Amino acid sequence: MTNEDLRREVNDWLAAHWRAPGTIIQSMWETNAETRAWHTKVFEARWSVPSWPVEWFGRGLDDEQTNIVIEAFAQVGAPGTGQDRFNLPANTLLAAASDELKLTLIPGLLKKDITTCLLYSEPSAGSDLAGVRTRAERDGDRFIVNGQKVWTSGATVADYGMLICRTDWDVPKHSGLSFFFLPMKQAGVEVRPLRQITGEAHFNEVFFTDAVVPASHLVGGLNRGWRVLQTALAYERSSMGARARGSRHGAADDLVALARAAGRLDDPLLRQDIARTVALRRLNTLNNARAKAELEQGTSSSIMSLGKLAMSRILHEEARVRTAIIGVESLLAGETQPTADDVNFLALNAYFTSIGGGTDQIQKNIISERVLGLPREPELDRNIPFKQVRSG
Amino acid sequence: MTIATTLEERRAIAETVGKLLAEESGEKRVRAVMETRDGIDRELWSGLARMGIAGLLVPSRFGGAGLGPVELELVAEEIGAALACTPFLSSSVLAAGLLTASQDEAACARLLPGIAAGTTIATVALTGERGSWQPVDVTVRAEGTKDGANDGAFLSGTASYVMHAGVADVLLVAAATSDGLGLFEVASHGAGVAIEALPTFDRTLRLDRIAFAHAPATRIGGAGRPAIDAALRLALVGRAGEQAGGARRIFDMTVEYTKTRIQFGRPIGGFQAIKHMAAELLLEAESATSAARDAALQLAQDHDGADEAIDLAAFACADAFAKIAATAIQMHGGIAFTWEHPAHLYLRRARAYSYLLGSSDLHRERFLTKISAQSHDGSVAP
Repeated sequence: MTNEDLRREVNDWLAAHWRAPGTIIQSMWETNAETRAWHTKVFEARWSVPSWPVEWFGRGLDDEQTNIVIEAFAQVGAPGTGQDRFNLPANTLLAAASDELKLTLIPGLLKKDITTCLLYSEPSAGSDLAGVRTRAERDGDRFIVNGQKVWTSGATVADYGMLICRTDWDVPKHSGLSFFFLPMKQAGVEVRPLRQITGEAHFNEVFFTDAVVPASHLVGGLNRGWRVLQTALAYERSSMGARARGSRHGAADDLVALARAAGRLDDPLLRQDIARTVALRRLNTLNNARAKAELEQGTSSSIMSLGKLAMSRILHEEARVRTAIIGVESLLAGETQPTADDVNFLALNAYFTSIGGGTDQIQKNIISERVLGLPREPELDRNIPFKQVRSG
Repeated sequence: MTIATTLEERRAIAETVGKLLAEESGEKRVRAVMETRDGIDRELWSGLARMGIAGLLVPSRFGGAGLGPVELELVAEEIGAALACTPFLSSSVLAAGLLTASQDEAACARLLPGIAAGTTIATVALTGERGSWQPVDVTVRAEGTKDGANDGAFLSGTASYVMHAGVADVLLVAAATSDGLGLFEVASHGAGVAIEALPTFDRTLRLDRIAFAHAPATRIGGAGRPAIDAALRLALVGRAGEQAGGARRIFDMTVEYTKTRIQFGRPIGGFQAIKHMAAELLLEAESATSAARDAALQLAQDHDGADEAIDLAAFACADAFAKIAATAIQMHGGIAFTWEHPAHLYLRRARAYSYLLGSSDLHRERFLTKISAQSHDGSVAP
């Protein structure tokens, strides 16, 4: 099929099916009837994952053709395609799950019938994620799960949790982990909302008491969960590097507009600060575009791993400059003070990106080790059975 | 402007230039050349000219390669990485760019073939003692010019921070005339021209002050401003490329060093204090490369956003290079505090290029002026 044919096909299809939306939700852990209906149409027409193989719900398109589809959808503002690039659970399953599990879960994920949450961090395993202590024990054709997870977005509504947990305590920590798609709606799973520094409660604590997961929901093999987790984390980090949440009232996203509204756009020092900060965002966009182009040209790109670190700096710098722009108004908060509320919210929420998905410091370790080839720090717990590892 | 080469051809150009520089312009050679009076490597320059680099931007009908900003930027990355001592930026980019943009066919035919062959070194005087590279800062005046009567002009006044004027055969000078800024060709050894070498902090770079006292000059083209702007755009793309290339080279050298330097029984590159500095600098180096290449691409394609992309590259690359070169010394420790170690050569270049052709503050201000004009009419949010 030529690029022209493909462009015509996708445009014709969109013209026939896409109608201006009410509310379509683009979130991993939320959905609604309209979202489901649209994503089902997209799935059935095989636009959800254009680059995936034909036998797995895709069209086997190359990168250039996939871009044509994504651009056509973007032009009319329709979501649902390009999930081969950002749908974290679906991509993780495609990469590592059994055919049976792929067939069971992927269609629902692409159609937004199924929502998921991430069961990674624990109170005693944050940056040291391989030190998780939630355990899964085999019981016939199922596993019994006990333990606790934290920082779980969407746990109150999710159908499945992507769970990393310990299945072998007698081997070093990375070698005893397994990865499951755990059904969330069961008696053994208790979800408690966690209030964040922003005052919101998007995160939860999740407690497992003899929760059950079928053995068929094991992904990547027993005790081989660490590698699966790396795939999933890479997707999460790359999406955190490309996008971040804006303000709640939309009153403080644009620094220039904010400075103009505050009557401070002629302050020469502030102008320098704003230019510096706007530039950071531009540079990240340029880096991401170059990373994409280099991948398409078959050159391996070191830039991909930098996005999240860059975004973290962008968000904190923007927050600092916004605060400088509004000055004393930042003493205020609440619904009646949309500008101050946005500025203060964004200042606090910047930590979502600089801590979540791996702290900046962990990201820098990863970049320096995997991209630059610098040695790891010696680790006291790397080569001993996990049950002997100190905790606290 | 366009992009005349394929990706493969561009890779080949960069590789060929990189190989020549690795062989002919290693650290030892750079140090030897920077101690000479002229400060340029004539042998290297002949070699680069034979490859078509001296005439990279010169249209083919004047004996050049007829290439554009994208190829310029890639070659500049290599030249900047090697700290090569050549009149590339002064003669091949600024002067050739200015002449081409002047649309003065006679001047182009007279000067460009020699520039392309590397046998003529030309340079451009655009700023006065204040060194802001803004038109208001031109303090040279032209006398005896009238509209349409371009011959028989005389220049008086001072230009400063002129690259390689001491070795140049031809000076192209911006001067105030009764009808705005004009461009003039002046013989560098002619009457009324006094060239005084400035003592430069970056010894791989030569700068001069030129005093004109009723110096005979030939006017080039009509209004000077559009040609000056066009030449500065190219020169800033070239500068950004050199900065990105220099930043990447000193960064790579530093990372390699941290893998071999042993303290506390292990390579210092294994300590998170060093690793985190390295990761931050990688982001700076990649961002500089992205900015330089985007500016080149946008200029080559005549995009509306080209000026904005050039402003961005100008300050982003300058600041990244300065930060990387400075931090590289700290990461090396004592060894890089010695004259023998090359790190300070990069820091000197980074500092010099932060002000040559305009400061980061200036380019940031220009960048903000452009984006705030857009955000005001609601067209594009940054």
